[in-house]
Amino acid sequence: MLADLHFLARVIPALLSGAVITAELSVLTFLICLVWGLLVALARTNHGPLGWIAGAYIQTVRNTPLLIQLYIIYFGFAMGGFPLSGFMSGLLALCIQNGGYVAEIYRGGLQSVSQRQYEAGRALGMRRWTLYTTVIMPQVIARVIPPMTNQAISIIKDTSQVAAIAVMEMMKVAEVWVESSANTYDVFAGAAIIYLVLTSIAGFIGKVTERRLAFAQ
Amino acid sequence: MDDTLSDAPSLVTDPPVIGAPQAAPRPMLTMTGVVKSFGANQVLRGVSLSVAAGEVVVVIGPSGSGKTTLLRCVNLLEDYQQGTVTVDGAPIGYRIDPRSGQRQRMSERDIAASRETIGIVFQSYNLFPHMTVLQNIVAAPVRVKGVPRAKAEARARELLALVGLSDKAGEYPVRLSGGQQQRVAIARALAMDPKLMMFDEVTSALDPELVGEVLAAMQQLARDGMTMIVVTHEMSFARDVADRIVFMEGGVIVEEGKPEQMFAAPRTERVRQFLKRYNDRYRI
Amino acid sequence: MKMLAPLLHSYWYLFRGAGMTLLMAGAAVLPATALGVVLALVHVFGRPMARAVLQVYLFVVRGIPLLVLLTFVYYLLPLTGIDLPPFWGVVLVMSLYYAAFMSEVFRAGIESLPQAQWDAARSLGMTRHLMLRIVIFPQALRLAAPPFVSQCVSLVKATSLVSIVGLWELTMASREVVERTLAPFQIFIGAALIYFCICYTLALYGRYLERRSLVGH
Repeated sequence: MLADLHFLARVIPALLSGAVITAELSVLTFLICLVWGLLVALARTNHGPLGWIAGAYIQTVRNTPLLIQLYIIYFGFAMGGFPLSGFMSGLLALCIQNGGYVAEIYRGGLQSVSQRQYEAGRALGMRRWTLYTTVIMPQVIARVIPPMTNQAISIIKDTSQVAAIAVMEMMKVAEVWVESSANTYDVFAGAAIIYLVLTSIAGFIGKVTERRLAFAQ
Repeated sequence: MDDTLSDAPSLVTDPPVIGAPQAAPRPMLTMTGVVKSFGANQVLRGVSLSVAAGEVVVVIGPSGSGKTTLLRCVNLLEDYQQGTVTVDGAPIGYRIDPRSGQRQRMSERDIAASRETIGIVFQSYNLFPHMTVLQNIVAAPVRVKGVPRAKAEARARELLALVGLSDKAGEYPVRLSGGQQQRVAIARALAMDPKLMMFDEVTSALDPELVGEVLAAMQQLARDGMTMIVVTHEMSFARDVADRIVFMEGGVIVEEGKPEQMFAAPRTERVRQFLKRYNDRYRI
Repeated sequence: MKMLAPLLHSYWYLFRGAGMTLLMAGAAVLPATALGVVLALVHVFGRPMARAVLQVYLFVVRGIPLLVLLTFVYYLLPLTGIDLPPFWGVVLVMSLYYAAFMSEVFRAGIESLPQAQWDAARSLGMTRHLMLRIVIFPQALRLAAPPFVSQCVSLVKATSLVSIVGLWELTMASREVVERTLAPFQIFIGAALIYFCICYTLALYGRYLERRSLVGH
């Protein structure tokens, strides 16, 4: 298995180019979801129809598979006359799905900040904006980092499903190479290792961020 | 202590007979040279303690002095690096190999069996929340000692009556107040017929008005002749019920003596300072 | 109404697909749970060597996408000569994958019990076996039930991935129908609805369990 270095020499760059796409999708999705998820979470706090819509949105994306959402967007848009590239469909589907999960993470973080913090701030005469930016949000951010890290890892893994619509991220690249070379083990081992590297990097960044932002809870 | 009527139901199954001529009080608990460290932190620095049958020893001292760890070492909830513990003559946790003089750890089975002779009540989260009060009390006698269920339940109801909670037998712990839960915990420990009962700050987590009922139960237990070691901050209990008071600080026993002597004229400055706050408030 | 026609013609086929989905998920849940409990016990009580191996296993499984593992096994299995029907191969992979997540759920349940519960049980003279059976497990499983159900929902959604390696279940069925009717929106949304019904029901059960576990403590 270690023998075929020629093969490895050709596969690795291909896998790495796939990994770049994987990384792009992951990072873009994560960043977009940080913002989008926050908006959804804030919408959910609303007591009127907006809150209900946000809630329904979250429940819908949490209870349907990513793959189906992917197909709906990809094929749906194509049929509807605005064909989206695989990458864009994938990005859109990933953002829609993970936006729901990130919103729930924010909600958990907001809920976990004790009511007393609000009271203390108001007792000191803070108004809403100051209260939120100087007292509440820093605590929410600190508490939200571990689940966000997990979500980031989840996103990296979910990008593999975009292979189903022929995007040349790493999973698809691996599949193509396996089909054309019958060198199954090496290709997948390589892909697996690169995924482990990517998810480990995400985990590491998460831990470092957690330590940096750790104040006594 | 007064003697109890021998045919009245008692919290203690086999009380030592007070007033009968005895050569010397037989030691119920003997701790010798116990040293315990948590990593680099030496919490017990060589503690030796002897408790006679039927004696009530109250351990007092500042937080971090090692009082809780001391209790936990007796029934090997915490492992200790040096020293031995015997209860009623039987070693607990470690026995001394007669040939080498080294201590060796007993098997897990033996340790579990020896724990049956020691009862302990903790500060909180004592009871099993998924069992009723009655089930809590009979679980160990039935499953550990093999007592027939009917007999165990009868004894359980007896004990509940003595701690004043007969009507709570079918309740789940979540429905009971903290004081009631602790009284059930005492009954549960007693159901195993221990020779020694240990109490680790059992009233510290309770609302003040619930403390009295638990202390009353403990007082009754003392009157019935149980050998007890009590770690507490309740100084009035120490003064009224203890046969001996032990003051611990920094992992060693600093001073011990009878309550009258300790409270009125402690020999050590540190003890005097510690008790001063209490004495000032209550002026013995 | 005319738009819904393709769905109305094919819904029964989709339902059969859903049946296969449930069959697959059901077949994977049992071994995943059993193995999850075992691994959790190893994590809490096992010797250092066993725990180290477990950590490696957890790291690998949680850092690699399920799709990669599924595809890997799908290509690899015929080569090893083991005569395993694809259905069972897929079930095996999913069981091993989700066992890792389940074990973390059960471990969290066990470790969240107050130390006093262990102390009380041990002080009453209970051996470890008895203590686990009547004190620790009843409580730990009750605490772990809601996140466990959550993992089950995830497993049901993950069955959609087997369609990418060519196995037939709801997602594959819906793809077939779409290819035939060229109505991706209706069909995929129909499939999404079926998934939603299954998963949301499970999610509601999980929330019911969560409320119940709070009452008892």
